Amino acid sequence: MHQGSHRRSTSLGIVAALGLVLAACGSGSSSSSGGGGSTSPLLVGVIAPFTGADASLGPRYFAACVPASLAINNAGGIMGHKVSCQQFDTRGEPADAVPAAQQMIASNSNLMAVVGCTSDEASSVVPIIDHSHIPMFCMTGQSEFNKSSFTYFHRLVPPDEFDAYALVGSALDNSHFSRIALVFGNDIGSQAFVQPAMTALQHLGATVTINQALALGQSSYRTEVTAMLATHPDAIFTEALGSTDATYLSEVKQLNGSSIPFMGTSATIDPVWFAAVSGAIGVPDVLKYFQAVDLGVSFSGPGYADFLANLTASAASNADAIKYKETGSTLHLYDGIMQTALAMVATKSTDPTVYNAKIRDIGNGVSGAVEVNTYAAGVAALNSGKSIKWVGAGGPTSYDKYNNSQQGYILVKYDATGNEVQFGKLTEQQTAAVIAAGGG
Amino acid sequence: MSLYLAAFGFGLVSTSVLAIAAVGFTMQFGISNMINLAYGEVMIASAYASYSLNNAGINIWVSLLGGAVFGAVFSYLINRVLYAPFQKKGTALIGMVIISLAASLMIANVLLPIVGYYSVSYHQDVGPTFHAGSIALTGVQLAIMAVAVVLMLAIYALLKLTRLGKAMRATSANPTLARNCGIPTRRVIDTAWVITGALCGVAGTVAGMNSDTFSVASGAGFLISIIAAAVLGGAGNPYGAMIGAFLIGEVTEVSAAAFSPQYKEVAAFAILILVMVLRPQGLLAKRGTLAAAG
Repeated sequence: MHQGSHRRSTSLGIVAALGLVLAACGSGSSSSSGGGGSTSPLLVGVIAPFTGADASLGPRYFAACVPASLAINNAGGIMGHKVSCQQFDTRGEPADAVPAAQQMIASNSNLMAVVGCTSDEASSVVPIIDHSHIPMFCMTGQSEFNKSSFTYFHRLVPPDEFDAYALVGSALDNSHFSRIALVFGNDIGSQAFVQPAMTALQHLGATVTINQALALGQSSYRTEVTAMLATHPDAIFTEALGSTDATYLSEVKQLNGSSIPFMGTSATIDPVWFAAVSGAIGVPDVLKYFQAVDLGVSFSGPGYADFLANLTASAASNADAIKYKETGSTLHLYDGIMQTALAMVATKSTDPTVYNAKIRDIGNGVSGAVEVNTYAAGVAALNSGKSIKWVGAGGPTSYDKYNNSQQGYILVKYDATGNEVQFGKLTEQQTAAVIAAGGG
Repeated sequence: MSLYLAAFGFGLVSTSVLAIAAVGFTMQFGISNMINLAYGEVMIASAYASYSLNNAGINIWVSLLGGAVFGAVFSYLINRVLYAPFQKKGTALIGMVIISLAASLMIANVLLPIVGYYSVSYHQDVGPTFHAGSIALTGVQLAIMAVAVVLMLAIYALLKLTRLGKAMRATSANPTLARNCGIPTRRVIDTAWVITGALCGVAGTVAGMNSDTFSVASGAGFLISIIAAAVLGGAGNPYGAMIGAFLIGEVTEVSAAAFSPQYKEVAAFAILILVMVLRPQGLLAKRGTLAAAG
């Protein structure tokens, strides 16, 4: 090596570290789609991970927005305003999410609502969005939002720990497993399940054989798998997104000689997750060994039918849309956008400080409200002077005073083509018992 | 104890994948003074090239060769079209790093609409599992280790025993002097990018084989460990990169057995920082094959 080798190698270390930091911090791209066509269009911001380990989350939320904008625009828009959708990529990292949120707000004075904000970035972006008085529908399960003071925050899904409780209920009551290995990604969203599941399992007499927080995106987890198998669990509880679960579970199969039962959170009901895991361990093993809990959505009724029609129509501009026809989060965010649009019509205002409070009324319905399942029907009812209650794609809404709404849980598997198949349901009594055991 | 032995065995597989990648990366730096942050993305692009062949029914080991060819051609083109013109203009090292970072992001974002964000898996038979005490390795893992050993020996032979290898060493030591001595340094650098690109392509494919699944997002994760191994061993030194790969691979696996798995990268990078404090030039910076003759 030439004389400058010492200096050069040191500079490599410094420069490479700088490069990695820049690589990690770089903001993602955004794209737009949807209706448009008016001189003063309104925008729904989809702020979520579109790249990075949780990149599968953003598309399912975007898949909610495009059909919602279609439905609204086809019915004449919101008081004549057309609606469009735009992606804002957080990469699933709080450090990237803050500038993404700031850019979204600074560049778009016509934001009518924001959807997305997963557990990866909600803590960072919710205060920013709330401060800007933009109604938001977040797919975060973090318990800090159970009783928050954010006026513009709405959540149509239960807190994450309720997913964990549902997993416990399913494992103990339905499958009669008693020795559970907890294998979750070390990201903030996945780790939210761990403590509630552990507490509930222990209080209900089950054994947590091992608790592993996996570093996401590693090329191998064989050492972790060996340690886990040595504890002889009946089943694995898991949510490790990206390709992590696929790698881990394929190594379970290799090192154990066969797969063992594994149970996922609602985030594992996802075509990307299914493709990765079934590719790694084979579809037959996924069908035989996997089950999950998901939000109690019936995927039926007039609201769902209208959603499905609009989702199908949206495939012209979003080819992947139809994959999300039975994805709970897609349905719920679609409902959130619809409720917001109808709240704007009800208050005859595009000012969020005026229509935000009306969203809860539209979702819960006030006394004497008529049930509506489509945007057009809602506008017609409002224009005729009636109060309305939105019962949409995801079913009825029941907001509490913190704008949190939640339903029950269903137990699901995959079929051979990756579609979700319900095979059971947790009763309210079952769920309540587990929640009590977990201290929730 | 048995878990630690098993972890050591798994670490050898990780080392093999990492060594192939890190040697290519460090040789690019050693010979052309280029910190190529797009290396991880080229690995993934090559892995997808292998996947497209494998998915068309071609055996994974033949597909591996396809990935190597893709990596070689792609790397050659990146250097010729992007990096070399900027270097010729005298762009500073930090500027070149930014350019390679831009290349990395461009490759990832161009790749995404082509291959999608879905993870994919090769059609491969992992073969029987072989046991040696607590160590259990599949046929594919042993084959990956064999590929790594063969490639490391080939790199050694190239650098030590061939005229091209000597020309590479001379170009690395002092490109101006090498050119004045009649060495066609431009052609040497081109050849180096083809060879290291092939290593990159092989590394991407075996990484996908080892992890059973990969996606576009996997590139950034690979790059961090590759840079760590290269820096740990001594920048530009292929033997150092091999040792760095061994240390990173083993520390990562054994620490997963000793501590919580979430700290496996922390342990590996703690070792890296310790070495950089005690020996900033890396473990072998002054003793490598690419060092000045004598």
